[in-house]
Amino acid sequence: MKAMDPRILTPAMVRIVEATDMTAHERFFRLRLPRPLRHAPGQFVMASIPGIGEAPISICCGPGDHDRLELLVRSAGSLTMAMQQLGAGDQMGIRGPFGTGFDLAEFEGCDVLIVAGGLGLAPLRSLIEPLLAERNRFGRITIISGCRTPADELFRDEMRAWGRAPGTRVIRLVNDTAHLPWDGEVGLVTAPIAGLDIPPATLAVLCGPPVMYKFVIMELAARGLAHDRIFIDLERRMRCGIGKCGHCQINHLTCCQDGPVFRLSAVEALPEALA
Amino acid sequence: MGAYLVERLVFLEWIRTLAGNEQVYFPQPLAESSFHFARVHSSSLLALEDFDDPHRTTIFRASACVPPPARILAPEGEQLFTFRRDGAGDCTLTPVLDSSRRILAGVRPCDLKAIALMDRFQRATIPDPHYLVRREHTLLIGHDCLHPCDRYCFCDAAGSLAWREGADIFLTPQPGARLLVEALTDQGAVLLAGAGFPACGEVEECRARAEARRPDPFGRRFAASLDDVMAAVAKGWDADVWQEQSMRCFSCGTCNLVCPTCSCFDVRDDFSVEDPDSGRRTRHWDGCMLENFAVVAGGHNFRKSPAARQRHRVMRKFVYQPHRFGGTSFCVGCGRCRRQCTVDIDIFEIASELLAAAGEGA
Repeated sequence: MKAMDPRILTPAMVRIVEATDMTAHERFFRLRLPRPLRHAPGQFVMASIPGIGEAPISICCGPGDHDRLELLVRSAGSLTMAMQQLGAGDQMGIRGPFGTGFDLAEFEGCDVLIVAGGLGLAPLRSLIEPLLAERNRFGRITIISGCRTPADELFRDEMRAWGRAPGTRVIRLVNDTAHLPWDGEVGLVTAPIAGLDIPPATLAVLCGPPVMYKFVIMELAARGLAHDRIFIDLERRMRCGIGKCGHCQINHLTCCQDGPVFRLSAVEALPEALA
Repeated sequence: MGAYLVERLVFLEWIRTLAGNEQVYFPQPLAESSFHFARVHSSSLLALEDFDDPHRTTIFRASACVPPPARILAPEGEQLFTFRRDGAGDCTLTPVLDSSRRILAGVRPCDLKAIALMDRFQRATIPDPHYLVRREHTLLIGHDCLHPCDRYCFCDAAGSLAWREGADIFLTPQPGARLLVEALTDQGAVLLAGAGFPACGEVEECRARAEARRPDPFGRRFAASLDDVMAAVAKGWDADVWQEQSMRCFSCGTCNLVCPTCSCFDVRDDFSVEDPDSGRRTRHWDGCMLENFAVVAGGHNFRKSPAARQRHRVMRKFVYQPHRFGGTSFCVGCGRCRRQCTVDIDIFEIASELLAAAGEGA
């Protein structure tokens, strides 16, 4: 149990230093924190505009002793729509970080397979950054990222740069080119898995829409990867981040405390985790 | 600690006097047969049951008042913080923590237990300061039950009837329209010290006298131990009872709202109409039986059917929360969800059916 923090449900107002539209629906924010969050990759913050509302948003920058906080916000409701109007110099309310993230020590020496669907790339970027920052601590890194059309692709330039790192392969896919120029592949994120070399010591990390997990897990199971070597990042509509509001409960677990990053072996028996 | 033998009406007058100076809550009649747990004012009608009146004509169903006392500690619409936006558009946020003193009086054993469980839940992992500050400044005056409230009560079967933990003062009805008034904590002793009540020299006898008055069985009984019930519910994921018992459910969420161990909430932001540069964030009672409770961004509902939501509610009481917070059943057997349900869905029946099914399977 932690000591009681009287401000745990009251956000700190944090300055936005950079805001850019990444797609028609997603806006990227860089904020300057008054003090480092010291988050783990995979953790989230509760982001808000006082008077409008609050929502859980994944941290999309790597961890470290820095004052940077990066968030990618998809316009989905009134709050996230209002956030699309925020620019450099404005403030955003931030609480957190919350949840359990990835332990980089476990990745040491392992091959890593990262599968991202759509917005799932944002939280996974918080893991990819530290993996690439200390490239020689880890084995081969394969990143599969899929989205609907080229216009929906996130972090395009960064993905290209990641693919140029030694021992790192990035497979970018769209479901449909929608008559737009496209230099990646066409298909679902499951398709490239069959062609990969996946030794048993590989760690796989998945983040995407609920429907993606089922098929990627089937594909990985077919390749014999143990379920305690697969991490999934689950999404629920948290209201508090401190395990009280009940909205993110998955059977006896709460997504905001026990997740959002779960080992597949820990949740596969829970009927409410994936469907 | 101090024990007193007090005439019931003298005690109720003392409660009324206390209420003149501070926030005192007590079960009060709302309509013919219903009670609510509400703030005491000078005109409030206060009553407690009579030891000598087995038919309980003088008291009604005060024991199962709605909302349950636990809800006073997490009130509907409570403010989390206020904000003010300056000319440059920057916001200053001020958390709202309610440290005013409250006395919750006439709290029955099932509700004492519920509050103890909520304390445990709210302190766990990351503590909730809004609940805990209010709780820290709240005194509890418990009241023993000599009779089950009605045919829906199963507090003894749920392990709540003997609960005392958390009470600062505890009341036990005695013959001759009197009450045994015991201080159980220092704070309770301080409060009673100034009351001028006559001391009681035979506390054990008084307690035994009250206990002997209780019927046996006390309320509804499960066909097996509470541990067996909890184990049976845990094994009942695929049981038919969820669908059978939920076909008539309206998903109105009443069972959640009247449950003393339900605490789920939603959060809302508001700004003042008069001054849009100021406002507040508040939280509001929510319930897992409501249709959209488990919807995520993108519209997927993780508990789409009433049966799935019913299963979640019952599992949460008997399995999930006990698993996380010390092994005790979070259903305290107060019977409120059954009593208030407009279509008579009964958590006791659901648990009993699962128990029977587990027995057949064994």
